Amino acid sequence: MATDYVAGGVPEPLVPRTTDARNAGEATILARRRLGPSVAFWGMAMVVASEVTLFGTFIGTYYYLRFNSLHWPPPGTPEPRVVVPLIMVGILATTSLPMQLAANAARGGRLWATRFLLLWALVVQCGYLVYEIHDYVDQLHRSVPQDNAYSSIYYTLLGADHAHVAIGILLVVWLLWKLARGLTMYRLNAVQVVAFYWHAVNLLTLIVIGVLLSATI
Amino acid sequence: MWQSRPGVLGWVMTTDHKRIGLLYFWTTLVLFGAGGAEALIIRTQLIQPNQHVVGPSVYDQLFTMHGITMIFFFIIPMTTGAFGNYLLPLMLGARDMAFPRMNALSFWIFLASGIFIYTSLFLGIAPNAGWFNYVPLSNAKFDPGHAIDFYCLGIIFNGISSSLTAANFIVTILKMRAPGMSFNRMPLFCFAFLAASWGLLFALPSLTADTIFLFLDRNVGTHFFDVAKGGSTLLWQHLFWIFGHPEVYILIVPAFGIATEIIPAFTQRRVVAFPLVAVAELLVVFIGFGVWAHHMFATGMPTITVVFFAAATGVVVIPSTIQVFAWCMTFITGNARFKTPLLFIAGFIFMFVAGGLTGIMFLAVPFDQQVTDTYFVIAHFHYIIFGAAVFPIFGGMYFWFPKVTGKLYFELPGQISFWLIFLGTNLLFFPMHIVGLEGMPRRNYTYPAGLGWGPENLAETIGSYITTVGIVVLLANLVVSWFRGLPAGPDPWHGATLEWTIPSPPPEYNFAVIPKVSSAYANWDYADREEDRRKLAEGVMVLEQGHEQPVSSPVDGWWAEIVEMPHDSPWPIVLALAISIVFILLLLHLWMGFCFALAGIVLALLGWHGEEPQESEA
Repeated sequence: MATDYVAGGVPEPLVPRTTDARNAGEATILARRRLGPSVAFWGMAMVVASEVTLFGTFIGTYYYLRFNSLHWPPPGTPEPRVVVPLIMVGILATTSLPMQLAANAARGGRLWATRFLLLWALVVQCGYLVYEIHDYVDQLHRSVPQDNAYSSIYYTLLGADHAHVAIGILLVVWLLWKLARGLTMYRLNAVQVVAFYWHAVNLLTLIVIGVLLSATI
Repeated sequence: MWQSRPGVLGWVMTTDHKRIGLLYFWTTLVLFGAGGAEALIIRTQLIQPNQHVVGPSVYDQLFTMHGITMIFFFIIPMTTGAFGNYLLPLMLGARDMAFPRMNALSFWIFLASGIFIYTSLFLGIAPNAGWFNYVPLSNAKFDPGHAIDFYCLGIIFNGISSSLTAANFIVTILKMRAPGMSFNRMPLFCFAFLAASWGLLFALPSLTADTIFLFLDRNVGTHFFDVAKGGSTLLWQHLFWIFGHPEVYILIVPAFGIATEIIPAFTQRRVVAFPLVAVAELLVVFIGFGVWAHHMFATGMPTITVVFFAAATGVVVIPSTIQVFAWCMTFITGNARFKTPLLFIAGFIFMFVAGGLTGIMFLAVPFDQQVTDTYFVIAHFHYIIFGAAVFPIFGGMYFWFPKVTGKLYFELPGQISFWLIFLGTNLLFFPMHIVGLEGMPRRNYTYPAGLGWGPENLAETIGSYITTVGIVVLLANLVVSWFRGLPAGPDPWHGATLEWTIPSPPPEYNFAVIPKVSSAYANWDYADREEDRRKLAEGVMVLEQGHEQPVSSPVDGWWAEIVEMPHDSPWPIVLALAISIVFILLLLHLWMGFCFALAGIVLALLGWHGEEPQESEA
């Protein structure tokens, strides 16, 4: 077979080929040899770009409504609590660490480490979401989205953020279920992609909580 | 290499970008027929003063559905869905899109959203507050019933499809180019689609948020647009136009892309100022994000805001003009053969310049305030949307017809169809300038006699009939050519890009050998094509182990890896069905059922991801 084809920089036989990866070891070797992030990673980057824009619009709406109001929040509507949400979002942000470590472990072919780190992240994420849903319902006893424009955007923004946390949790559960049957190229990519999603969600949550708490300033 | 599954099941489960492109093409053509029929009823209603073909409430539904259909269900899916899907991988030297199953999903969601929103028309409760659906006209108090809910949900539904397509295109263009095709070797068509896809990806969330707010206001009782409770009616307009103006460029930039393919083929000359045109295509969309408030000059915004947006709008003219000059210089310095596709592009340039000139007039703020909501605006944007977006679509239909079918169309009826459409549209839209300046307001179902608008409106209606005849001639030409046309061969035009290097119609795997690319006009690099043939004979660069596809680095086109693509799959249509159920339940306010349907989506996704490409091979 001739190997003189170098227009793409590398002769054909040297390019990593996913169909060659028949087991976890070969998959990790290929993952190290390939150039740049996987196509799946780019796909997730597009999803994140779209979601970030959606949140950007929500946050823009929040400030647009705020700067068109004399009182924010309006009289009679309680101000958001500051300390507990900040602690909770801080705890959630720490899950970026196990998620990134899991991605690195998967890349290194360490299956059990990947599973353990994902489980660690999952426990914290579930704890966060359970508390937050409880808190959300609790707040609904004091004010409802139907009260005024402030409550409308407050609950919409917070609810949208919780929904993204919930989707992330489903993704981690799905990853653990997939990894129960070993590591493949596909699952290796998936761990990296979901880790990236979680970084984005953690950052978004920080920003969203920051925006919502800005009402107390 | 590989074959598609035969029969209907092969089409339902297909992940082949060419088949999905054709599905898009036929679906959008049907919806174009629907939108066109609505336009014809509107024009017949306005043929003379005090007509009563339809009543005011039906008229409201007709013009709203006409706008929604032509923008969301014809031009976007026709350019991105049909042309982009079919042609992008062929031009990039790829065997499929980056996410073939997601591509199928976009189509099925698009089809479902089209059926969803047209159900409302057949039930007689179609959206009726105009395509930009201003509050408070469209809130629950002034527009009770389901009409606007159909609008909100239909737009979100359709937006999912467009977002998926846009994400897919961007990753395809960045990652799936043939190794060696660095950015400067990428055809201008692909730059245009990259620009339009970025536009879609970043513009649609704004519309999605807007329609979510309106849906919540109408159905849950929130107060986003309720001034009495601290909301703002202008918020709707801002969010709508933050989407709406980039949208205009999303509509026409793919048309620019089509033009930049047809012009080199029929002038046998590389496009003048390639890098400038490529950058201009991207810049039009980028600057297009900063001009939205020029749709709102009549709302009483602060003067500084108005002036800023007027100035920003002036800046958009620059990249648009760069492209017009580049096309014209390519015509002049090349050897132009005015076959039908090039005639449509010439017509497009004429219409685009005419529509662009009236567009610049809106920068004069007092003038804009004077003509807001008159037929002058209608004339302007139809010159842009019909003239600049749809003309290249027609030209592209003729141009790539031999590639898709393997047959040549008939030239004389083709030219006749061009002249009918060109004269028809000018007769249809030009008099609108005049009646607009005379003060004829848009969206009124009739007008009294004695205002002097009768002759112009009669001319417009005649123009609409002539345009319709032209479009029928065009479609009839293509249908007859499909059965009776002469065989076209792989390259009837001596086209510039990679799709002309392969047989017509292209095989399922597109390229038997991954092509070598050393310029943006790959089909004119004879040495490279010779090398491809030699490599095919030697079995180099064939990548024959299943659905294999090379992946490149995003800018330089270095080889990154070789991946296995998914096979045919039933899951896209299943998932689209699950999503449709969610939207239907939302419309009917069945909140519990909605939660169960969400679980249905999760199950469909599990099924989707149950099969891994590597596993299926083993």
